[in-house]
Amino acid sequence: MTKFIIRRLLWTIPVLLLVILFTFLMMRQIKGNPFRKTERAVPAAIQANLDRKFHLKDPWYEQYANYVKGVFSFDLGPSLVLRNQSVNDIVKSHFPVSLELGAYAFIFAIIVGVPLGVLAALRANKPTDYIAMLVANAGFAVPSFLVATLLIYYFAVKWDVGVPTSGWTTWQSKILPSIALGFFPMAYFARLVRGTMLETLQQDYVRTARAKGLRRQRIVGLHVLRNSLIPVVTAAGPLLGAVITGSFIIETIFAIPGIGRYYVSSVSARDYSVTMGLTILYAVIVIFGNLFVDILYGFLDPRTREQRT
Amino acid sequence: MAVNPQQEEFRERAVVADTGAPGMSTAGAPVRQTSLWRDAWLRYRANKAAVIAAIFFIALVAYVIIVPFVSPYDPYAVDFSQAYAPVSLKHPLGCDQYGRDLFTRVALGGRVSIGIGFAATIAIMGIGIVYGSISGFIGGRLDNGMMRFLDALYGLPYLPFAIIVTQLFRTVNIWVMIIALTIASWFTAARVVRGQIISLKENDYVRAARAVGARWYRILGRHLLPNTLGVLIVFVFLELPGVILGEAFLSFIGLGINPPKASWGSLAQDGRDVYLAHPSMILIPSIAIAWLILSAFFIADGLRDALDPRTRET
Repeated sequence: MTKFIIRRLLWTIPVLLLVILFTFLMMRQIKGNPFRKTERAVPAAIQANLDRKFHLKDPWYEQYANYVKGVFSFDLGPSLVLRNQSVNDIVKSHFPVSLELGAYAFIFAIIVGVPLGVLAALRANKPTDYIAMLVANAGFAVPSFLVATLLIYYFAVKWDVGVPTSGWTTWQSKILPSIALGFFPMAYFARLVRGTMLETLQQDYVRTARAKGLRRQRIVGLHVLRNSLIPVVTAAGPLLGAVITGSFIIETIFAIPGIGRYYVSSVSARDYSVTMGLTILYAVIVIFGNLFVDILYGFLDPRTREQRT
Repeated sequence: MAVNPQQEEFRERAVVADTGAPGMSTAGAPVRQTSLWRDAWLRYRANKAAVIAAIFFIALVAYVIIVPFVSPYDPYAVDFSQAYAPVSLKHPLGCDQYGRDLFTRVALGGRVSIGIGFAATIAIMGIGIVYGSISGFIGGRLDNGMMRFLDALYGLPYLPFAIIVTQLFRTVNIWVMIIALTIASWFTAARVVRGQIISLKENDYVRAARAVGARWYRILGRHLLPNTLGVLIVFVFLELPGVILGEAFLSFIGLGINPPKASWGSLAQDGRDVYLAHPSMILIPSIAIAWLILSAFFIADGLRDALDPRTRET
């Protein structure tokens, strides 16, 4: 197991280098000269200084090496548009918000989605099942901007239950965004758990347990549920990407000062170093999220260990 | 998807079922040969949810294609006397803030959204087939390297990746959206194709073809790729929702199709600012998106059951 973990950890280094290279090369293609965007001629001396400060005249591989060095020493460079702010500052002040939002969304998805799936599987092809799957399918298909808008429309405005429509300050303000962002993962978990539960319920060991007269709650709790939850762990990896994507929308709608919103505004403002830094941050999250899931999966299901090493 | 004993067996069963159907069999008439595709069609037809989904899907596509042709309204003409006009016989879905008929604009936006969706999906399949076949067919070190490359690409999350690609171009139009969404999401297709090719490669009929001296392109084109077709068709309907949602999200945050051009995402963005007074403006394009995604989803489900009978038991 340690060997497996070490190997997976070592693999992330070349992957990370490649991801940085892609991002870097793409950003270079659009880069041009960010300081000329105002159409105002910059004096040659200042231009030369700017070039020196941001290493714009170095050959690309030196710039890349510099950038990689920066990334691995946790320095993402200065922002090109927001003066006196480094990308690190932006990450430091806004990333915790996004992280919190994402965590709440996942918690909501699990505490609602998993029971919904279990309920649907235990009452398969009965009204409870249909209602649960209706909710799940809706969560699957309805775009998150509509979910967010409907939540605001009903809970914050029409019924006015005391939740604000925007911001990220009090605990009340955190409820609606977390639900809106967690709605898609919730639907995903519900469908997934229902599917695997139904499959597990037909396994021989469940039949045996039933045959020897175990109580239903015990069978479900001990045998079925435990085995049905493994796919939930593996699904968490890919869902991480969905939650990041969703956070762009949700942070924009609820005016939450997270990095998703910053990302969007940095693209519009052509603040390339911020865009690049945040892209790499997202990539790191996804890579380590998947790594974590793989390792956890290795613990939960020993059969996979052999294949993957 | 390989032609295996189970499928052969199923074919026979289907033939029996066919001749047993009323009006189909006359004593002594030659048994009608059922092809694999006819079998699939029969199985698909038996799946009520999938058939209903297909009808919904076709209805939506027909709506977006036909309505802009027959609509009496110019989708770009501003008429403030009709701003936010309510639902009426003249305007089945009302009007937007500039008095433009929403029934027409949603259809027009649908052309853009569905068009981008299908074009990007086809491009994704194309790249996936080429990349996946090369990787799976040649195998060995090359395969290993190509897959590690994919692993790295998987590290880039979908939407940020697509956004960066759009920034490589001066303006964001339909073609840029297609390119960006394709580049940000072709990896899964490549993996699926590679997996199929690798599992099919070990089949006896491929070995036989090799033994009689068939060239690689014949093995690939005649034996391997046609057998991946079923999986790929299912994959199209699984991929389409993701691409259409991606377009909607990008346009919604203002980095995709921009007004006055309509797509479902940009229409929803229009409605976003006035959701309190006129909720229908964000509701209608969102329902269109959900309609398309759900129907594509159930079609994919039905196709999977129809094209791969082995999965039907569970």
